[in-house]
Amino acid sequence: MTTTTVRATVSLLARKELHDALRNRWFVLYTVVFAVLALALSWIGLAGGQLYGLAGFGRTTASLINLIMLIVPLMGLTLGALSLALEREQGTLLYILAQPVVPGEVLLGKLLGLAIALTAALSIGFGLSGLLLAWRGSPIGLGAYLGLFGLTILLALLSLSLGILFSSALPRTATALGSALFAWLLLVFLGDLGLLGSALALRISVEQLFTFSLLNPLQVFKVAAILLLRSDLQVLGPAGQYAMHLYGWRLLPLSTSVLLLWTLIPLILAYLFFRRRGAL
Amino acid sequence: MGTGVLAVLLTTLVAQAQPTSLLSERLAAVAPGDTIRVVGGIYPGPLRITKPVVLLGEQAPVIDGRGQGTVVIIEAPDVVLQGFVIRNSGRSLDRENAGIAVHADRVTIADNRIENVLFGIYLRQADSCRILRNTIEGDPTLDTPRRGDLIRLWYSNNALIQDNTTRYGRDVVIWFARGIVLRGNTIQFGRYGLHFMYSDSSRIERNRMLHNSVGAYLMYSTRLTFRRNLLAYNRHASAIGVGLKDMDEVTFEENVLVDNQIGIFIDNSPRAIDAQIRYLGNVVAYNDIGVQALQDAPRSIFRDNSLLENYEQVDLVGGGRFSEANGTFWERNYWSDYRGYDADRDGYGDVPYRAVALFDALTDRTPAFRLFAFSPAVQALELAARAFPVIRPEPKLIDVAPRMQPLLPEGIPAVPRRPRPVLALGGLALLLIGGLTIGSARLRRLR
Amino acid sequence: MALLTIEHLTKRFGTTTVLVDFSCTIEPGESVALWGPNGAGKTTLLRCVLGVLPFEGIIQIKGIDVQRQGKQARRLVGFVPQEVAFYPTLTVGETAAFFARLRGLDPEEGRRRLVQVALQDRLDQPVGTLSGGQRQRLALALALLGDPPLLLLDEPTSSLDIRSRAEFMDALQKLLAAGKTLLFSTHRFEEVEHLARRVLLLENGHLEADTTPAALARRLFPETSQYRLRLHLPERQRPEAVKTLQTHGFEVWMNGHGLEVRVSLNEKARPLTLLSRAGFEIIDFELHA
Repeated sequence: MTTTTVRATVSLLARKELHDALRNRWFVLYTVVFAVLALALSWIGLAGGQLYGLAGFGRTTASLINLIMLIVPLMGLTLGALSLALEREQGTLLYILAQPVVPGEVLLGKLLGLAIALTAALSIGFGLSGLLLAWRGSPIGLGAYLGLFGLTILLALLSLSLGILFSSALPRTATALGSALFAWLLLVFLGDLGLLGSALALRISVEQLFTFSLLNPLQVFKVAAILLLRSDLQVLGPAGQYAMHLYGWRLLPLSTSVLLLWTLIPLILAYLFFRRRGAL
Repeated sequence: MGTGVLAVLLTTLVAQAQPTSLLSERLAAVAPGDTIRVVGGIYPGPLRITKPVVLLGEQAPVIDGRGQGTVVIIEAPDVVLQGFVIRNSGRSLDRENAGIAVHADRVTIADNRIENVLFGIYLRQADSCRILRNTIEGDPTLDTPRRGDLIRLWYSNNALIQDNTTRYGRDVVIWFARGIVLRGNTIQFGRYGLHFMYSDSSRIERNRMLHNSVGAYLMYSTRLTFRRNLLAYNRHASAIGVGLKDMDEVTFEENVLVDNQIGIFIDNSPRAIDAQIRYLGNVVAYNDIGVQALQDAPRSIFRDNSLLENYEQVDLVGGGRFSEANGTFWERNYWSDYRGYDADRDGYGDVPYRAVALFDALTDRTPAFRLFAFSPAVQALELAARAFPVIRPEPKLIDVAPRMQPLLPEGIPAVPRRPRPVLALGGLALLLIGGLTIGSARLRRLR
Repeated sequence: MALLTIEHLTKRFGTTTVLVDFSCTIEPGESVALWGPNGAGKTTLLRCVLGVLPFEGIIQIKGIDVQRQGKQARRLVGFVPQEVAFYPTLTVGETAAFFARLRGLDPEEGRRRLVQVALQDRLDQPVGTLSGGQRQRLALALALLGDPPLLLLDEPTSSLDIRSRAEFMDALQKLLAAGKTLLFSTHRFEEVEHLARRVLLLENGHLEADTTPAALARRLFPETSQYRLRLHLPERQRPEAVKTLQTHGFEVWMNGHGLEVRVSLNEKARPLTLLSRAGFEIIDFELHA
């Protein structure tokens, strides 16, 4: 009898997941929207500076970072939330688990396949805007550009694993998707607004404000992205100066670790839920 | 062909073989007013010029300070030093080791290349000098505070400083100097592009200050014309494009300030009760903060400026508003965040521009909240503030008839922009990775 | 050695207990039916055997614990679920290849199994376009990948028409003859009668009886009582069929799906013969006590 290694099983499941993801209309829509918006924003950002051969990064950077912060978590969360729940509902999850595989392999295969799909989607958006920026002589460096891409992949991974957590813990597609959308709202809007509101009411210090803000992985991403693009955090005011003074460039490995942790912990939880819940 | 190369080689050898003291000897031999031509060669510094002579370098003769002291010292008036390469000064900040030190009036320093020096050209109590078309490069391996000023004027009036290029220095310093004209220079990669104090009746125009911590800091002076300068990419800690501190009677006109931390920083200017500052036709674009005023900017007119896509267009530190009662007028400026219309087609909006960004109001009062800059939540907040005027803050300024189109002055020295092949390769690589992944997974059946 | 051993299997979903202290062993070559009303725990029992649900107790296949060594255990099991669901993005050929690989087999093995169930002409057809019978045959082909000794079938014929059902039962008969061990749930007595050698009677999660099809028949159809024969006919033929049967002295009434006829023990098939001779189209029938 042939024995299947974990690696072979995971890679087969991942390939199958990638195959499915590329035929998922949500995924295709996200890819196109991200690419078009990234291109458009880069174009608009460069167009204004044309007159004196200057390209600025004020609001353009803001809108690029904003775009990433808005759409990438949405991509990861929804694709993740659909991953197990949809299969559970259509019955294929039971069928897969009835095969000689273990839940961990199924989960890992899903994650890997979707991660590759997301990376491919983001590469296209980044690649296109990178070519545009290069052609128009933007001041952004290759290091910062690739760094931002890497950070964006991390952001995609962490939202994907959060989505998979919802998918494994909740029985129905609708609830998993609903929770994922709520999580998106929380990460993107409610978290920051809540902190802003509490800070207004409680008059917390700059240090506390910075520390609390790091509870939101999107803020971690933002701080790291700005540090990469600008080489400092002046634009974030006193809190940015405080962070820069305290950590300096160590902020980059630090925030990368935090983002990775945000990926790993939901995954572990997802695994525990999935093993308990099985195919139901 | 072969003989030509040989000839050049011989000339070089001959020049190098010349006794090191030759230049000093030749100087000693000539009469005041004479012209000395120096063709190529490397000469050791220091060279002390004590007679009003004209020194013309041909084929870039080198005066090498060999890392000791100041390389060329000019102690006689009416000296002309032109066409030399002057390099390797000492590194002592205390002794102010320089490429060229000038202690006399009416000296002309033109077309020299000054390299690897601590200070560049240092005018000390030297009036009516001209510094023209020199290229001055400091030592980039030193920390910025350990570097010297590549052009430094100290109690030296009526200087003309034109078409020079400096790189990797500390500042360009103009202190205690009247009637200075600074024109067409390019100042890059320093601390303060221009450090300007106690220097009245000066004119600063068509310069480019790029990639410094501060583009130009203008302080304690009056009757300054500052026009058609380009200040861009001035970043790092508390970086600004142009700062005005205790300045009076400034005409600040048609300058372009792009991608600085703060475009224009206004601190207690004007200071005198009867002084005025006019900001006319400037382009302030892509800065984190377009214009930042500490407390207030009284007796100031902001007219025909174009404020384009600054993350925060105007910041009044500590909140509050600019008031016409104090003589602050915002008129006919272009605002990229203006959402009005121009029904009568006269080029000016029919509804006033009000600077009412909710987030700006928040950060003006509590700067720590700038931490939330670039967050989608902030965008949502602004949208909400627009939709529900209840939470809209008091406008910090009102421009009654804003421009519908930006006004972009012509003839500003542009920065050439070249395609970036490395970045293009990076973009292409990502595009290929993404495209191939999707293509192969889509085309290949799952077998 | 027993092929399948179940010891003290208890399964709870939250506060409801679906299986209570269930124990049994199944020897190689046996064919065992799980019989019981809906909700008796048949499906849950099969899923526990597959190891896809956590449970209390021990289940072993050839001595391999399905909870602790699920992967090895499932390699010995082929499974046909109640409602077969395949990946809509794959074709028949891709599906077979995918599941073959998942079992560590050559994709060619997938094709061989498709030949076995006569689906080899539909390799490039998307699975979504298959008919119910074809889907069930595909499921059977996949269950046979790697030639596992134990087949678990969860009401495998419930979604099939009468013809496909007969074919499917036929296929299962052959597999049984070839030495496979079958454990299947059903609520059709004919299937028990045709296929099973042994019946596990489940009621409210308890093993009510471990018995034979004949014993089940006696339990279901005690001699004294009469039977109800349920006949499925096209709707327009029903009133005419009622009349026909009544003229032959049968007690007939209509219900939601067709007709019900009261029949005695030794003339259970008479209404069928009568109606088909008269040209009626009988789609299906069921026999109830």
